[in-house]
Amino acid sequence: MTILILVAVVLAIVPLVFILGEVLVRGAGVINLGFFIHLPGGPNDKSGGIGPAIAGSFIMVGIAGLFSIPIGIGAGIFFAEWSSSKISTVSGFMNDVLTGFPTMVLGLFVFIIIVLSTHEFSAVAGGFALSLIMIPIIARTTTESLKLVPTTLREASMALGVPRWKTILRIVISTGKTGLLTGIVLAIARATGETAPLLLTAAASTHYITSIVNQPTASLTVLIYNYGTSGFPVWEAQAWGAALVLILVMLGLNLLVKLTIGRNLTEARME
Amino acid sequence: MTKLSKRFIELPPAKVETINLRATYGKVQALKGINIKFPENQVTAVMGPSGCGKSTLIRCLNRIHELTPGAKVEGQVILDGLNIYDPKVDPVVIRKRIGMVFQKPNPFPTMSIYDNAVAGLKLNGLRDKKKLDELAEKSLRMAFLWDEVKGDLKKPGTALSGGQQQRLCIARALAVEPEIILMDEPCSALDPIATAKVEESIFQLKKEFTVIIVTHNLQQAARISDYTAFMYLGKLEEFGETTTVFEKPQSELTEKYITGKFG
Amino acid sequence: MQRLLDSGLEELTVMVYRMGGLAEKALSLSINGFIEGKDFSQDVHELSENLVNKSVEVEEKCFGLIAKYQPVASDLRIINSYMKVAYDFERYGRYGWDISFIGTRFNGKNEKCDKWIFDYIRKLAAKVLEMVRVSIDSLRKLNPELVKTMTEQENSVDKAYFEFLDKLVAQAGVTNDCTISSLLVVRYLERIADHAMHIMEAVVYIATGEKITLR
Repeated sequence: MTILILVAVVLAIVPLVFILGEVLVRGAGVINLGFFIHLPGGPNDKSGGIGPAIAGSFIMVGIAGLFSIPIGIGAGIFFAEWSSSKISTVSGFMNDVLTGFPTMVLGLFVFIIIVLSTHEFSAVAGGFALSLIMIPIIARTTTESLKLVPTTLREASMALGVPRWKTILRIVISTGKTGLLTGIVLAIARATGETAPLLLTAAASTHYITSIVNQPTASLTVLIYNYGTSGFPVWEAQAWGAALVLILVMLGLNLLVKLTIGRNLTEARME
Repeated sequence: MTKLSKRFIELPPAKVETINLRATYGKVQALKGINIKFPENQVTAVMGPSGCGKSTLIRCLNRIHELTPGAKVEGQVILDGLNIYDPKVDPVVIRKRIGMVFQKPNPFPTMSIYDNAVAGLKLNGLRDKKKLDELAEKSLRMAFLWDEVKGDLKKPGTALSGGQQQRLCIARALAVEPEIILMDEPCSALDPIATAKVEESIFQLKKEFTVIIVTHNLQQAARISDYTAFMYLGKLEEFGETTTVFEKPQSELTEKYITGKFG
Repeated sequence: MQRLLDSGLEELTVMVYRMGGLAEKALSLSINGFIEGKDFSQDVHELSENLVNKSVEVEEKCFGLIAKYQPVASDLRIINSYMKVAYDFERYGRYGWDISFIGTRFNGKNEKCDKWIFDYIRKLAAKVLEMVRVSIDSLRKLNPELVKTMTEQENSVDKAYFEFLDKLVAQAGVTNDCTISSLLVVRYLERIADHAMHIMEAVVYIATGEKITLR
């Protein structure tokens, strides 16, 4: 029995290790300081960099966060604290559906309502598309974290004559804040790795953008897609480099989550 | 028909009383018309078998019952001549006058001992550090916890033992300076020594407050209460001075329950 | 439902009933012996000693039950009362022994007594023995019905006691074995009646929770 389990574990980990290994091997050679800053060069230009792509990803995830964090947390609080209302049940269900929604469809949706109407690809459109992906995740993790806060704490606070909104803000959220932050970081990690929606909303670019509303914006994922399928060896190598950067960012974010949860567990053990 | 022990007429003035109080959880009728007067500055124990409605009763007194989804309350609860269920009354204000200590100790996990003690005050906007310090010490002393924690008030509230946590919760309830303290089986999660300490503090509290304590521990009810109410299946079966109820109960049901002949 | 306390209570009740039986026997032996001039002092003495020991046992049993089970309501009233009643039974035995002792001390001198003294004692003894019987019976049944009758009896016993006293005093100058022994015996009889009433008070308390004084 134990052997079967071990086999399963190995089989699960092997692909990840394999991918990480491949990316590391193929991408490491391209990495240097210039790579991070320079503008992209032609298909045979080894001195080209992915600066705009990194900046673009950063900006669009940032925009997405600006939308999705308040909305997601707000929705999460609503689902958790008013869970008995019909609206909550219905919209909660819709939220769960959105969590696994095909991102290409979301991208298409934003393409139609923003890109077509403004006649521009833009960072805002890209960010907005990403936020549609992030909101359900943040809402769901917020709800679950807040639901873990024991009802008795809410009652204790209300029994002191603290109004409901203050109880939610100062006691419930405060107690569940680690879960909230975890959800946000996970959503960010997810958004950073999305490609399809950005293809349709921000497209690609070779410059650092000067405006977020009317210029196509580069992103790491789209660059990997474009370069990786280009057929030019230099560009393909750079795609691997970009992939390495992306993977390192994802790993970093996930590690961040692990560390904060780890701290939370130690605190919980003290009780 | 509630049996009243013979000395009922000498009851001290009631601090809070219920008039035909009924309460439901969804379709279940937990309280079927309770009329009870809780004497001021006395400890009244409310006891009865599981499901008799004793916890529901006290949760109606500070309007916590209605926070449970599907819960409803009808009837009146009169506090100093005011019906707290009057639509014009703000429940938040009532809960500042009627405090509560719960069955399982529930200090706020993100707060220190000090912050827990004055949580009710700080959360409601009190900033005066001097006043907060004063009230923190006063309430921790009244809960018989001051001496044990005064050395390190910044420690998290959850770093204390179970008994200490419960006394912290008592201090937290006291700091708001309510008039009535409700306690829902406050010692059931505690060991005998912690229980003894909590009972000690309850005994002193009645000098300043009116205490209403739900307990399933008969000996505890006998030890610390001045008056005892016995409830059964959502009704008030008997009410009277504790010594009388425990020496010669008027109702056969009460007799059966306290001598352990139930079931 | 059988509670843990119940077996202890049963044992206690059996102990107390046994004491009642022994006490009744001691008194009827000693009083009738005194009147008929027979000497049962040996038996009565044994009974009396037995009762003293049993009284201690009952007390210990009661304390044990209280410490262990924290009884309340009717259980507590029963245990509390049995402790007191055990003492009353012990006293029954003791007075029985005292009367026997008087009998042997003044052995064979009864014929010289005035008839009226003996008649008094005979009548009084009959009343008191009846009271003793009723007290034990009421305790067994926990039935306070006969309280009224008993109170009347006790009043008449008291009255008889004082009348006897007066009559003896009126017989100024006469002090002999008769007057001394009969006075003591009448006194003991009055005391026995008193304890019978004490037992009745306990019966009322167990049954109703009311504390009354009948003496």
